[in-house]
Amino acid sequence: MKLTLTNHTFSTLLNSSFINLRRPFCSASLLSSSAPISVKPQVPIFLRPPIYSAKLSDLKKWHNWAKSVASSIGSSFVQSDNGPDSEILCRELKWFVEDVVEDKHWLFSEMGDGDERVKMRADLEELYCLWKQRIEERKPFQYVVGCEHWKDLVLSVEEGVLIPRPETELIVDLVSDLVSKNEDLRRGVWADLGTGSGALAIGIGRVLGNGGKVIASDLSPVAVAVAAYNVQRYCLQNKVELREGSWLEPLKDMEGKLAGLVSNPPYIPSTDIAGLQAEVGKHEPRVALDGGVDGMDALLHLCDGADLMLKPGGFFAFETNGEKQCRELVDYMKSNRSASLCNLEIIADFAGIQRFVIGFHR
Amino acid sequence: MSHFLRKSLSSFLYRPTLFCCRHFSHSHPHNTTSLFSPTWLSRNSYTNGLSPTRARFWASQPAVTEPSTSDGLTVEGIISNNWTILDENDGDWKSHAAAIAQSITLIKRRLQWKKLKVRLNMLSVQLNKEDLWDDPVRAGKINREHGSLLGKMKEVNGLERELLEHIEMIKLAREENHEELELESMKALLNMRRNAKEKEIEALLSEEHDSCSCYIEVQAGAGGTESMDWASMIMQMYKSWAQQRGYKVTVMEEMPGEVAGIKRATIKVDGEFAFGYAKSEIGVHRLVRISPFDSNKRRHTSFAAVAVIPNLGDQSSSVQINESDLRIERFRASGAGGQHVNTTESAVKITHIPTGVTATCQNERSQHQNKASAMAVLQSRLNQLEMARQAQLNSQHTQSLTDITWGSQIRSYVLHPYRMVKDLRTNYEVSDADSVLEGDLDGFIMSYLSASLDKNEDDA
Repeated sequence: MKLTLTNHTFSTLLNSSFINLRRPFCSASLLSSSAPISVKPQVPIFLRPPIYSAKLSDLKKWHNWAKSVASSIGSSFVQSDNGPDSEILCRELKWFVEDVVEDKHWLFSEMGDGDERVKMRADLEELYCLWKQRIEERKPFQYVVGCEHWKDLVLSVEEGVLIPRPETELIVDLVSDLVSKNEDLRRGVWADLGTGSGALAIGIGRVLGNGGKVIASDLSPVAVAVAAYNVQRYCLQNKVELREGSWLEPLKDMEGKLAGLVSNPPYIPSTDIAGLQAEVGKHEPRVALDGGVDGMDALLHLCDGADLMLKPGGFFAFETNGEKQCRELVDYMKSNRSASLCNLEIIADFAGIQRFVIGFHR
Repeated sequence: MSHFLRKSLSSFLYRPTLFCCRHFSHSHPHNTTSLFSPTWLSRNSYTNGLSPTRARFWASQPAVTEPSTSDGLTVEGIISNNWTILDENDGDWKSHAAAIAQSITLIKRRLQWKKLKVRLNMLSVQLNKEDLWDDPVRAGKINREHGSLLGKMKEVNGLERELLEHIEMIKLAREENHEELELESMKALLNMRRNAKEKEIEALLSEEHDSCSCYIEVQAGAGGTESMDWASMIMQMYKSWAQQRGYKVTVMEEMPGEVAGIKRATIKVDGEFAFGYAKSEIGVHRLVRISPFDSNKRRHTSFAAVAVIPNLGDQSSSVQINESDLRIERFRASGAGGQHVNTTESAVKITHIPTGVTATCQNERSQHQNKASAMAVLQSRLNQLEMARQAQLNSQHTQSLTDITWGSQIRSYVLHPYRMVKDLRTNYEVSDADSVLEGDLDGFIMSYLSASLDKNEDDA
């Protein structure tokens, strides 16, 4: 065997990501035994039971309609606000069908007279309604199907919860690299502030070792409910603890104790909100996007948090709006927190935009 | 009763020399790395404890004589009788016999029978030399190869004998009006037909990567919407074919055309022998029809190119890739990125800098998965490249691998003014074009695979 580590890693990733897609990790009964949650999270379509059915011909009729609607968009959304074009919408339609139809082989089959019935996880009428919302109201696709594929995870999302972005995946990679070389941090307590769907907390929870855990906080009860649901789906109840509250508030007991602090806080300047693409501006929670006049409100607060909460040698990583915020943040830390924070570094995302500020507590 | 008859039969079935060889069939060393090594033969295990003296003794015997029935019917004779081969279920004994004889002939071709006989004779001569064991290493090698080839020859001769024995039995049963025996022998013959078919397929698909899963790539030729539509018809044909064969089909990459069809697409076909079969499809496919996209209803000719790459998975022959040799590009909407943008577009393009080979995946739902899938495709392409390189080094390697450059037209699909699909390599043709486009490709594939054997034999 001449296999390199690289090949092996990739094949493992491939396998795990394919296997993990549809299978719920815990039985649904676990969900009821969780901490007091007032909001009941929605179940993503792909996890619902296939209790509906439709005639194949009717389903194809819907599919043709949905496809023609998607095609009619052309590049008009791109021109108006950099939204999706027909090609993207058609691909989303394919995924939509994958999530809804129990046996998607009908897509390929030209056989059959159309009278056979197809088992589905949503009513045909609901499909019309949802796709209309996708196109006419520009409802984000992830809210339509109730999930987002992020890293090798499939995370439940719904209105009121920020849809995790691929850029943010890099924070998990950074933490993963770090803890693989640092036993102390691997077994420590981490915090993810403003966790939203729980993406960062779950991603980090999966790379921590025995004894390591993540406290994930969010102001929004919907976010906490959805994050708890996702944590349970990945059976991380023992690794990820959810706390409701604003930023540092629910972590008072952890001052000077955290091994790591990560966050993807709202960082878009208030004046930019109006110009966002409709999927973001009209549907995603403003509280998760709007970072105040210059977008720095939460980020500055988090700098103070890193100073206060991290133990010596503790690590932090924050996502920002780009180069300008990265520089301002580093300047702020250098002039106000240089006694406690060190090894500051700016990291670019995959598009080459300076996106993250990372560093350590002395 | 029938047992008794069988015994009495064997006394006049074979010439004595045959028996002579048969007795040793259990004692030949088995060489797995021989020149001809179809998988079905490696199932037999030959014990490896032959003494030099004994080797010398049996190597001096005439190898094998062609078996025949009491009235002189041989396997070759059956073939030259040209008996019609009917479906398994409504076949009479002649039909079964012809099918089996055909399978045996094909297996022989796969083994390069004539060459094998010459080689075997040469090895026998070597084994008979007095000074053979002066160089024990070389002697062992010769001994092993001889044993392996002899084993293969015996297995084929065994099939031939079995076939003739069944025929003899049926004839005898008819002469004696023994219905029970006839029925039983027919059953045995049918069983043998199925077995032989299986061995034939295994013999056909015995090249190094034949058993692998594979990727099938289709690319539209010049000619705009009409050829993009053709490309998507071809892709649909392969999807249906693969599913009818019970393979799992996954779409890896798809670039839709502006109006209809696809510019290019890649599917992954998972299952045993997927590559072995699908490799027959490598090349350019031509369509002639009245284009539905032409308002003047004119006849159009379009082309689509098909490439097939084995998926070697974790096999040890995988090319080693250094992470530092890779450039990984992710497509993101232009602009600020991050929270500003919500797009489900997460394509990943990976370039292997030293070779310039690229792989793109955009159909997965996260960047992470797109990267993993693109990486798998890249790995396969690099493996393919490496295989082609080795094929050039090794002139014995098969033709198909070097044809990956999509150079040649292999098949023509005419929908107007008449309907016919014709393979230009084998001249195999079918007039029911619709069934072909619905995935009924096995006839084309099988005829190509056996034609490739002929070619190898001619080359040999």
